[in-house]
Amino acid sequence: MATTQTRQRKDTDPRLSDDELKRALYLVKLCRYFDERMESLYRQGKLPGAIYSGRGQEGTHIGVVLPLGPEDSLFPTHRDLSAQIAKGLDLKRIMAQYWGRIDGYTRGRDGNSHIGDWYGNKTWTVMSHLPIAYPVACGAALAYKRRGEPHIAMAICGDGSTSNGRWHESLNMSAIAQLPVVWVVNNNLYAYSAPNELEFSVPTIAERAAAYGMPGVRVDGADVLAVEAAAREAVERARGGGGPSLIESVSLRWKGHAGHDPAKYVPKELLEEYMRDKDPVKILEERLLSDGVVDDQEVADIQGRIEKEFEDGYEFAQSSPFPEPEDFSKGLWVEDGYWTSEPGRGGGTEAS
Amino acid sequence: MAQSQDTRPKEQDVETGAAGHGAEPRGKRTEDGQATYLVAIAEALWEEMERDERVYLLGEDIGVYGGAFKVTEGFYDRFGADRVMDTPIAEETIVGMAIGSAMEGFRPVAEFQYADFMTSGFDEISTALARVHYRSGVPLPVVLRGPSGGMVRASSFHSINPEPWFAYSGGIKIVCPAFPGDAKGLLKSAIRDDNPVMYLEHKWIYRRVREQVSEDPDFLVPIGSANVRREGDDVSIITYGAMVHRALEAAQTLEGEGISVEVVDLRTVVPMDEETVLRSIEKTARAVVLSESYRFVGIAAEVASTIAEKAFEHLDAPVVRLAPPNVPIPFSPTLEDAFLPGVDDIVATVKNLSAW
Ligand SMILES: Cc1ncc(C[n+]2csc(CCOP(=O)(O)OP(=O)(O)O)c2C)c(N)n1
Ligand SMILES: [Mg+2]
Repeated sequence: MATTQTRQRKDTDPRLSDDELKRALYLVKLCRYFDERMESLYRQGKLPGAIYSGRGQEGTHIGVVLPLGPEDSLFPTHRDLSAQIAKGLDLKRIMAQYWGRIDGYTRGRDGNSHIGDWYGNKTWTVMSHLPIAYPVACGAALAYKRRGEPHIAMAICGDGSTSNGRWHESLNMSAIAQLPVVWVVNNNLYAYSAPNELEFSVPTIAERAAAYGMPGVRVDGADVLAVEAAAREAVERARGGGGPSLIESVSLRWKGHAGHDPAKYVPKELLEEYMRDKDPVKILEERLLSDGVVDDQEVADIQGRIEKEFEDGYEFAQSSPFPEPEDFSKGLWVEDGYWTSEPGRGGGTEAS
Repeated sequence: MAQSQDTRPKEQDVETGAAGHGAEPRGKRTEDGQATYLVAIAEALWEEMERDERVYLLGEDIGVYGGAFKVTEGFYDRFGADRVMDTPIAEETIVGMAIGSAMEGFRPVAEFQYADFMTSGFDEISTALARVHYRSGVPLPVVLRGPSGGMVRASSFHSINPEPWFAYSGGIKIVCPAFPGDAKGLLKSAIRDDNPVMYLEHKWIYRRVREQVSEDPDFLVPIGSANVRREGDDVSIITYGAMVHRALEAAQTLEGEGISVEVVDLRTVVPMDEETVLRSIEKTARAVVLSESYRFVGIAAEVASTIAEKAFEHLDAPVVRLAPPNVPIPFSPTLEDAFLPGVDDIVATVKNLSAW
């Protein structure tokens, strides 16, 4: 039932145009670079709060989002910032969020990847409690179905989050009501320190789909195009009225649970294997180079553009003001008008 | 509310970079017997597990990893996987399983990775744990532990003070120690108690406060007893948890200005030690009730109304609450500092009150 799909670019009839493939490459490289640079700033003590690295999982995060349109909604977790970037979050405002500034998406109310932009690109404002957004995705999907709109909701969570009751309730509900949802599990083999075998006792998460009455597929998260293919099939099924599907995309969390965690519980050989043989960024880049979709110069140009974007984002965040202290209780109620007032720089103190 | 520079966590604190997680090993007592709050909590668990084999631990990442804050570091090696049980991310089931095993004679101690995630087990806590004994006479010696509180730049989902939610249920004792000695003695009492006890350990205190702590294996601090931490004559500050430390700092400052402050550390919020609180008011005739938990329908509101009701004739001024409003705890330093009662706020409030 659980199948592993792979796709060769040299297959006849490639689904993605060269521009789409270049965009995929840009996104995986951007997310990798962002992740590495942010970690290094964190290690230097220059970044407040926590960081939850998604390194090694770019294939999952970018692959599942590529088939989404602007009106489709995305409900991710703390680990899925790369997916949010692919859905359209702006690097500048992301970085302002990390530094607790007024230009961050939560206007300083939260930090790091606890972020979202519902009105901008239909991304849920990430909350920690797992998997708190799964039931919410059912609700968004219900709205699309009721109004006869062609949109779908996609929710992402980790392997560990599938142990929680909400996960099961949501899959069950979505299947009963035939909701246009795609359930994604980013199986990075660990939930904090807990390996898969301490979280569930079935061989794969994908095969649980049968218990709820929906299709389930397990894909190799190292292969962004395989993930994209599986996601596209599920997205089209949901859009076409075929109901929900479950995608389990497998990779390894290369870093600790958060910045503080050296993850000594991950066997060294496992980590080495994944970093060497299952690096989604390297695999995509090599494939696009060997298929002639990009050349070395183009790859270098992409990298240059990414580095500049990062520097611009960093500068923007550092010069963004802190929120006004007395505004800390605003925004609780619709009537106080805080969220309909001018966003960003209008509502902050002088930059430090 | 303005914030005193002194108590504000410094940018380079380990916790500020880790949502409060303890990255470092738990550490040990100093040579002269001083223990951090973190060490004191671990000692209490260890001693009670040695003493009573019915005691076992369950929770997320508590085994080989030793817990998000390293409270149970080393426990897995000593007590094994059965008694230091790693669970999936399933808070309702963690609580329910604790209840069921307690009904069958075990004495479970469940760890929540953060007290914030107690809400993910809300139904089993507020419906089942709180009510089994009332309706059936079956005792539930269950302890629910979790790191609570802010002051470490961990924002809305890693800073909650959940005690008012669960105080409302009835049927669950709630303990919030502020010092290592109390942390140890209260946790041992909680484990030996035949009632459900919620034990909230403030993550700001974990590695910051250290003191001499008893090594007597039967050292207990009774649940339901407050403690006058500092004697004074002019104004009483009634508080608990990390705010005790801010209150003591404010009291020090105020002493220099000729105002003598008494600081009452509640230590337990359910059941509340009314007698110690009222005795203090009889002496000072003025009360500031300070809490990190929310102001509206909060612990401070409860203490304040008890004082108003039972010590009215002793009061020379209205009872004042100093507590944050009921809004999610924000991340940005400017917002979190404004949100939490600071030493400056406490000083100003006490001064206002003593001018009455
Ligand atoms: C209900 C709940 N309990 C506990 C936590 C603490 N916590 C944060 S992330 C995490 C592990 C999550 O593992 P997984 O779902 O596999 O996601 P990953 O971090 O690996 O992407 C835990 C236990 C939480 N966020 N929510
Ligand atoms: Mg995981």
